[in-house]
Amino acid sequence: MRLALCWFFLFLVGCSGVYGHEEYFNENLKISSLQDGRVSTTFSFETILKGVPPRDPRLLNAPDSSQHYIVFPLALGQILREYAVTELHLTLNAGSWNYERWGYPEESGVGTGAELWAWMGAGAPMSIDDRWQGLRNALAGLFCASLGTLDEQRTTSPTHSYFPHGILPSWNGSSAHELRHGSMPSEHVCTENLTPFLKLLPCKSLSGIASLLNPHRIFDADWHGLGIHVLWSGESGIKVRLSFQGVMDPLRPSISQKRDWSLESLFGRSIERSCPAANSSNIYVTLPSEAYNISPEPSKIVGQLASYDILGDKSFNVAMKWPRSFQYSPSYETSVPISVVRTLRGATQASGKLSLVISNHRSTPQSLVYLETMPWLVQFQLHTLHARVDGRIRDDVISNISYMAPVPHSRPATFQAELRLAPRSVTHLTMDVDKAFLRYTEHPPDAQRGWDLPPAVLIPILSDTEDNHTRSSNRQRLGQPIYTSTLLVDVATPDFSMPYNVIIFTCSLIAFIFGSVFNLLTRKFVVIGPDQPPEK
Amino acid sequence: MHALRTAVLKFKQRFKPKQNATITRLKRRKAAVSLFTRHLTHLMIILLAVGYLWLLILPSSRLGRGTYMDENALQPAQVNTYWNWGDVNAADRYLEQLESLRDSNATSHQRSQFLKNEFLKLGLASATQKYSFISNQGDIHGSNAYAILASPRGPRNEAMVISASWLSRSGEGNGTLNLRGVSTVLALARFLQNYSLWAKDIIFVISDGYLDGMHAWLKVYHETQQSNLDAEPLELASGVIWTALNIDYPGHSFSHLGLFFEGLNGRLPNQDLLNSVQRIARYTGQVPVTVYDHLDWRDSSKQSSEPSFLPSSLRHNSEVKEFTYRARNLIRNFGYQAKGRASGVHGLYHQFRIDAITIFAVPATGPHGFHALGRIVESSLRTMNNLLERLHASFFFYLLTTPDRFMKIGNYLPSAVLISVAMIFRGLRCWVDAGWKLNQRIKDDGDSSSDVITWTRRKRHVLHVLTIMLVTHSLGAAIFLSIQSSLFLNNQMFFVPLITLATSLVPFVISRVSDPRDEGSAPIWLVLKALNLCSASTVISTITVLNFSLAALLAVTLGLSLSFSGPSHSKLLSLTKYILYVFLALGWLFFYVETREAIWQWEILSVWFAPFVCLVYTPLLLQAGTVCILSS
Repeated sequence: MRLALCWFFLFLVGCSGVYGHEEYFNENLKISSLQDGRVSTTFSFETILKGVPPRDPRLLNAPDSSQHYIVFPLALGQILREYAVTELHLTLNAGSWNYERWGYPEESGVGTGAELWAWMGAGAPMSIDDRWQGLRNALAGLFCASLGTLDEQRTTSPTHSYFPHGILPSWNGSSAHELRHGSMPSEHVCTENLTPFLKLLPCKSLSGIASLLNPHRIFDADWHGLGIHVLWSGESGIKVRLSFQGVMDPLRPSISQKRDWSLESLFGRSIERSCPAANSSNIYVTLPSEAYNISPEPSKIVGQLASYDILGDKSFNVAMKWPRSFQYSPSYETSVPISVVRTLRGATQASGKLSLVISNHRSTPQSLVYLETMPWLVQFQLHTLHARVDGRIRDDVISNISYMAPVPHSRPATFQAELRLAPRSVTHLTMDVDKAFLRYTEHPPDAQRGWDLPPAVLIPILSDTEDNHTRSSNRQRLGQPIYTSTLLVDVATPDFSMPYNVIIFTCSLIAFIFGSVFNLLTRKFVVIGPDQPPEK
Repeated sequence: MHALRTAVLKFKQRFKPKQNATITRLKRRKAAVSLFTRHLTHLMIILLAVGYLWLLILPSSRLGRGTYMDENALQPAQVNTYWNWGDVNAADRYLEQLESLRDSNATSHQRSQFLKNEFLKLGLASATQKYSFISNQGDIHGSNAYAILASPRGPRNEAMVISASWLSRSGEGNGTLNLRGVSTVLALARFLQNYSLWAKDIIFVISDGYLDGMHAWLKVYHETQQSNLDAEPLELASGVIWTALNIDYPGHSFSHLGLFFEGLNGRLPNQDLLNSVQRIARYTGQVPVTVYDHLDWRDSSKQSSEPSFLPSSLRHNSEVKEFTYRARNLIRNFGYQAKGRASGVHGLYHQFRIDAITIFAVPATGPHGFHALGRIVESSLRTMNNLLERLHASFFFYLLTTPDRFMKIGNYLPSAVLISVAMIFRGLRCWVDAGWKLNQRIKDDGDSSSDVITWTRRKRHVLHVLTIMLVTHSLGAAIFLSIQSSLFLNNQMFFVPLITLATSLVPFVISRVSDPRDEGSAPIWLVLKALNLCSASTVISTITVLNFSLAALLAVTLGLSLSFSGPSHSKLLSLTKYILYVFLALGWLFFYVETREAIWQWEILSVWFAPFVCLVYTPLLLQAGTVCILSS
């Protein structure tokens, strides 16, 4: 075993010498206790491919340089180079993140279901939309997710609300990049997505922090999500960050109402050995403010953060204990400036009312970017958009509306606006919506369920000084996004359980009406006495 | 081969028309029509008889079939339940606290605050909602408490509701408290969040009052406006609600679980929900299930309910017992559905496409309690949790004769339809009679004399008749508007005879004021009768698919009475008939309590029974009365 490891390292060193670019793999796990007794765990696996730029889209037809990676995931790298993707973010989440109780997540992309967005350079022989389609299908194959259905009916380009997290390179002075964004709220995330995710890691789930990703436990969490983030950060090269977030409830199995946790209790496993390919491997634990007991003693404590370096450790387990049992508090301190409740109500199948109740918890005014991407089957009545504060309609809340109207059967609507919330206020936004009448082939197989609508995104504006909302300025301007929960909409649905009856009824009716009308129109009526011979 | 061909040819020859085909067909058609018209009266009587007989034999055990599960996703009674004695103990603790609240005469606000705090202690998001209804029969104020258990890993766009109202449905909300139902919901909230398998949010609602609290909550949840409702908006929100269970447990213990399912305006929940709960109660809870609180006649504790006029040999006959039991269930169902009343809090959900039923713990000295009820509700929630789509299979139209037998729409609908067909035949007959006059004279041509029958056309004064009908309907509208006023409701004893008298005079005025009848035109009463019967028949056959019980009730009251209206030779007889019709049309006004209740239901819950009676039923009978006193 040890000999094999030595060979492996020798091989690593050899490879990096031969191919001339350095690769780093860092992994860490952050565990923190939340206010409502739950435990948030965030896994982050970062691979850096140093000194390599993203592929120039103008050279897509030219043969690509050969790809030889050591720890960088080849399967992902091939997709990125094939479609010349500069930046990519894919998240697959299950559940709705409770901002009020859990605060901001470590990884900000927590929209329910699948969300995929990518920045791609222009000027390629293949159009951006074709490359986007290829990317979707390739990722769908790689992650066993139904990303292929993120077609043009769900693709938008909300440039006011999204900005590149890395640097977009400029080839020959042109840095024309375009954003493509799609979300699929009805995607269910489970083991079939985790397995390909683990395959991208150098140590799979055999050793290191990744060995804690035990599907039996992490898919029993109150919230869980996978994320794949690819970006280029200039000098330091291409970064691929694979993340897993989970919110576990240690109180659920606890009989004594204690929120004690350990790696063993959270994941059903402890770390047996470290990952030999990792350059660093750390576990961070946020220390609570009240009395606690943590074992083993952390190697380093910075502020409220205890850290453990598990590189080289034989086996590792960390446990947190509280002396007293846990009491739910009636209210929660929230670190998120606003909270939002979004609903779609209305008892009819033809129209409804979209409403957002946004509370500003801060004593300062708060500006937000509000983004709504809506499939065409729900159509906004923009003139009915009203903001009410304390029951009075206010005109100064909504500004800078940008709206891209939907195209029935093809393009979704993109609605972006800026909201300005008064300090410590509750703002009600309402808008009437029309529900489309679908073609019968457009209904999903479980037609009576209705349609899942993607979450809205609210992004706090940090500084309102800059007026030109360019991409680079957005980066400084916008804070961490807040995703609302998804919606389910009922549209008028035929009774698919009895298609034959419906067809037969309709056909008989049409035939009957047609027959009688045709008969009346074409027949000539003549009065004939019964004893009179018919005229020949 | 040849033999066969000749045989076919012979066969053809035999049936080949002797004359021209068109003439034969015309003759045949004429003969058929004449046969039909000659026997129309018989046909009508047969149709009426069959219709009424069909209605009478609806409770027969020979009709109907066993219930079955249609939605495969539901999988009722297929799970292990974990509700145990610890949870029963928790429910008992909650009950003690609720009893002390009751004994301290806590206001509804204090109660809802207490409930909210209990939910918060469990870690659930919880809030209260104050509401008030403005009504001519006294305003209603109250406060609901509700909590939402967010489903783990769920997208928060689907939800199921488990609710209990503060007042039990026993005595239709006469003030019996549903303390055990409320404590069951609280204990369930504590218990259910220990499991991570919920795919939908679970909303716990403890509504104030009997129907009013839940009505206010649902209206606000779905953001529908009601002018006389003033309710706080809901702070917490969840997704689309597909199914809901309402728990009603007024007694100390229970022997049976009763299923209540009728909703407002005759809506019924999907039968799959009823069937699932029925199966779960039987297989998981081992609790017998009944329809309503009617105990099965086989049950030893059950008092005999067979009518006493039957000889004892018949009374102890099992067929008779079975028939009486089913008949009681159907009559109860007709009572709720025809009046559009909800048989429990669940009935308020149906207007928002939520399938809901009430599980009613029939009060008894034993043997079941929280343990059985908790397990049944837990398993039912697991079944509801399995739903991938809104309940759409199975039946929305049914008559439940016993918990496990029901009648499909095709088995009961024809009864009312046949009666309405008989009525329209009669109406059309009158229409034809009004338009044609038979002239019979004896023709004498020398050696033999023979009857010569000629028909002459008569003018039908349709516009005049339509005006009469319009007047009666406007009269109905006036009655409806006047009985809603607080003046009427406060002095019912005074106003009811007044309204009756005033209304009964109007047809007299009509009959005296104008008679445009010129010589040779049809009598007004005949045209009025024709139109009256046709419109009544149309109303009945339309209502059958909306609310069968109401249609059946109309068929029973209008079928015979409208068919036999008409002036008599003696003035006294006509007047007696007229008084009978007026009594049928307006007699309901003398049921003071029922009338008030119907108006309350219209004002608060928008049950259209009261307007229907005023605007459709009463005018139709007044028209029939007018027919009797119009000069022939």
